[in-house]
Amino acid sequence: MAASNSVLGLYDTPDAGANAMDGLKSAGFELGTFDVLTGTPYPEGAFGEYVPQHRLFRFPFFGAMVGLTLAILFTAGTQLAYPVVTGGKPILAVFAMLIIAYELTMLGAVIATVVGIIFESRLPNLNLGAYDTRITEGYIGIVVECEDDRLEEARGVLQTAGALEIKTA
Amino acid sequence: MATSSLITDAPDDRPSNIESTALLAGEGRTAAGTGLKRFMWLLAALSVIGFVGIVFRFINDDGRQDWGFYAATLAWMLTIFGGAPMVAIAPALAKADWVRPVARIASLGAIVTAIIALLMIPLLFKFPALTEFSEVLGDDVRRRSIWFDSPSYAPHFWNVLILLTLALVGIAMAYVMAIPDFAAIRDHGTGWKQRWGKKLARGFYGRPQQWEWLKMRIGITGALYFAMLLYTNFTFSLDFAVSLVPGWKDSLFPFYHTISTFQAGIAFTIIGVWAARRWGGMNKYVGHEEMWSLGKFMLATTLLWFYFFYSSFIVFWYGRSESDSATIKLLVSGPYIYLFWAVFFLVFIIPWWIMIWNKVRDSVWGPPIAAFIILFGLFLDRIRIYVSSWSAVPDDLELATTSILQEMPDTMWPDVFDVFIMVGLPALGLLSILLVTRLVPLVSLWEVQQSRLITKPVRFLRSHVKLVGKPD
Amino acid sequence: MQQRRILDEFTINRELLRGNLATPKWWLPTVLGLLVVVLFGFTLMGIMFNRGLGVTGLSRPVYWGLFITTFVFWVGISHAGIMISAILRLTQAEWRRPVTRAAELLTVFSLLTALFFPLIHAGRPWRIFYWITPYDFARGIFPNARSPLVWDPFAIGTYLTGSTLFLYVALLPDLGVLRDRTTGWKRAFYTVASLGWRGNPRQWRLQTVAGILLSALMLPIFVSVHSIVSWDFAVTPAVEGWHSTVFAPYFVVGAVHSGVSAVVTMMALMRWLWGWDNYIRPEHFDALARLLIVVACAWLALTFAELIFGVYSLEAPERALREMQMFEWPWNLLFIIFFLTGFAIPVPLWFFKRVRNNIAMMFWTSILVNIGMWLERFLIIVPGLSRKQPFVFTWDSYQVSPLEWGLLLWSFAWVMMLMLLFSKFFPLIPLFETKESQVFTTDVQIGRVTMPAVIRELD
Repeated sequence: MAASNSVLGLYDTPDAGANAMDGLKSAGFELGTFDVLTGTPYPEGAFGEYVPQHRLFRFPFFGAMVGLTLAILFTAGTQLAYPVVTGGKPILAVFAMLIIAYELTMLGAVIATVVGIIFESRLPNLNLGAYDTRITEGYIGIVVECEDDRLEEARGVLQTAGALEIKTA
Repeated sequence: MATSSLITDAPDDRPSNIESTALLAGEGRTAAGTGLKRFMWLLAALSVIGFVGIVFRFINDDGRQDWGFYAATLAWMLTIFGGAPMVAIAPALAKADWVRPVARIASLGAIVTAIIALLMIPLLFKFPALTEFSEVLGDDVRRRSIWFDSPSYAPHFWNVLILLTLALVGIAMAYVMAIPDFAAIRDHGTGWKQRWGKKLARGFYGRPQQWEWLKMRIGITGALYFAMLLYTNFTFSLDFAVSLVPGWKDSLFPFYHTISTFQAGIAFTIIGVWAARRWGGMNKYVGHEEMWSLGKFMLATTLLWFYFFYSSFIVFWYGRSESDSATIKLLVSGPYIYLFWAVFFLVFIIPWWIMIWNKVRDSVWGPPIAAFIILFGLFLDRIRIYVSSWSAVPDDLELATTSILQEMPDTMWPDVFDVFIMVGLPALGLLSILLVTRLVPLVSLWEVQQSRLITKPVRFLRSHVKLVGKPD
Repeated sequence: MQQRRILDEFTINRELLRGNLATPKWWLPTVLGLLVVVLFGFTLMGIMFNRGLGVTGLSRPVYWGLFITTFVFWVGISHAGIMISAILRLTQAEWRRPVTRAAELLTVFSLLTALFFPLIHAGRPWRIFYWITPYDFARGIFPNARSPLVWDPFAIGTYLTGSTLFLYVALLPDLGVLRDRTTGWKRAFYTVASLGWRGNPRQWRLQTVAGILLSALMLPIFVSVHSIVSWDFAVTPAVEGWHSTVFAPYFVVGAVHSGVSAVVTMMALMRWLWGWDNYIRPEHFDALARLLIVVACAWLALTFAELIFGVYSLEAPERALREMQMFEWPWNLLFIIFFLTGFAIPVPLWFFKRVRNNIAMMFWTSILVNIGMWLERFLIIVPGLSRKQPFVFTWDSYQVSPLEWGLLLWSFAWVMMLMLLFSKFFPLIPLFETKESQVFTTDVQIGRVTMPAVIRELD
């Protein structure tokens, strides 16, 4: 099986980066095998890139259910374990339990959302592959994942588009 | 690299200025269709029935408790029609572009506030004075109210004055916002519309100075309307509900009333937008983007409704003093318990579950469904509050001397005249708006044209985006 | 009014990372000075734990005094972060960009500070653990879920956790920048902290979605937290002036008022200390002042409702309390100062454009607001408690002890020190948001006029 490579082309203008993306599409590289790295967010699709789908919205619901369950267990469990009437209120005071239930539900939703964000961003991934620190200085990086047999072709396309430097990892 | 060098023009399929002028002000404006005429005649008939209901209410009247449904209907109308102009004001103050096409529909609600002010007069005959029993109990004894030591008929006087001021400011604001459109009707309309357009345009020709004055007047009337609406809600809710119930001390109630006013106003605007698309031919002007923005605000106010309700409730529930318990019993768990649960589901639970889904919010059908449900739910809520307040203490008890509600009143059910009133008065309000739209365009022509000027679709590298100018 | 600067990413990195890649001369002496005050504060806490609460002015019937006032005050300050970050993000207000991280940071650190006060005020804080967690040591009793004092830790804990996570998620792109700009152990630290951030479209898209989704989740939490804190007072009918339904929105709006004012103070300091004139401009103070006018007017309406309903019932004890609060010494003086500093002086000044665009004026008026808001909480809590019992011989004025004043001072030093320590390792102004504004804003020509414009993505 041919080894997988990561090739990065560095460009100093967004135009050149977008041209490189067009070149890779024309050369038959599959959408999803090449990507654009930028130090600032651009409007979605600005480079003609593959727009990623995510399932982030499922995470808050799951977290909220967990939080709600824990809240009911805590409030009902503690009150039923030692039933002490305070202020004439019922042992299981729904209106008071509602507050703790609400807070823990939201906490669960927030924590699950953050976990979801990190997961859906495909993080943590400390191996950056082909990368250049100048990307966070305003340069545009176009990175291609390809097999050995298409490596030179990828380099050629990136060079044609005007890459300042090409790196391989 | 500067962004401007990455932007190129893109095709613009929005209606041109010529097309929108023709549709909204000129030859393209269709006369009222048969369906609309029939609907307006129906509303007129219902309005007459409403007046019949008022007359018979006066004739068949066993006391203050029989006027609760009338008070609830007025409160509901104030909630919806009074709150709608806020949709025009608030986003405009925040310089939001999306509100431009819907501002006209929202501002038309102000027309009805004048009718509400007039309809309040019959109610005032039944509204007790502060010292109603002073002949029996002495001059010093008066029921609790926010008017403290003011003259006995202070609430009557001030409520009418405040409501009339609200109406005046609201109509002034709606008029000022429509002046450029009247000028367009003067220039492109025909017949009676052209004559009225000329009268109402009052020499507006779009000179820079006139535009500056227009902006300033819209700003001033808008800010005044907002302040008056808060003040109206404050006095109306306290005088016509809270002060009629001994022991009901609720500092949050005016704000609860106000937030449901905003919620209803947004719901009314959403329904107006839906109707404008469905029957008014406004599909190209108002779409899912406006529904989505309005829907977000309606979701927020729905959540705030629950927040304000719960904030009052938890204080009464936890405090458990005699008056706290009596208040909860009257409004929530006593004679109107089923009504309360209906309100809870219709105003909060169901709209919330409809509107939290992105796909539903971002559609042209989702928000109107939630809006209809909310308006019906708020109608029941006003019945819950005002009918219970007006029937809390019968006429023959010394309202001024009781400080806590000792006995719960029985559940009041509407009789046939109450039904006439509840159906007829809102029909009158809706009819008045539809009559005004015969002249005034449903969508604000000048705002749509201004939006076309400062926004445009463009291409940013390989993507399609919208460029929005920020003139302020 | 737009005062846009056109800046490239290299310049933005260099200017906004000034405090991270190098240490400003004033930084170390300031931190050391604050550390002295902080350590002094911890010493005072130690003295209080050793000698008991008698060293404070707390006594029957005023058991809640400066500590609880300051607790509510710092919870109030914490509301700025989400107000600015979440609401302005959801409404796509461009002027939020330089402010969001500092506001979120203020939220986190002020909440941490606020948490100290109910803990130390218990006298023996190590026992509080039993009271909020279901940990039975054969006492036969568990936390009382019906009590607002137990609702508080859940609310504040949720808000603190949520805010911290929100802050971290939004920090990821900037940690990537720091990783690329540093070497050695710092690079290793930022590499791990950034989790391998690269800046591909997936990650940027999720940043945007995260911002919106977390904002939408944090907003209800933000409203609930200070409402729950207000219910510590509002739910009990036992204290005059407390049992009022308006407390929840009153506290929340008051918190926004004081919190946004604190952000104004902080922004002015950031501009002066780090020289960020290109990023924190008069237009930001103008926008914040307009927001503050709206919030302050809402606050005034709620204050009016609270005072009116204080006397609405015409009951003698409540009327007597209000008369004491507004007309008797020393409360009348405190009341006047509260109203003047909280509303009457700053708000009319903010109506003038010249004041709104004058950073020094905004700095001093924002400080006035927070003096007023601290006094507001003091005037809500202490007078009602001092009149709690119907017996005249138990009425006593609450005298704030020097130790309590010292701990108030400690709280300010603590927050400032934490902010400065954070600023050494992480940028206070979000780099990616600043760069994003460079991409998403441009100028457009309409006739002879050139006006600023923003790019909005189509749905």
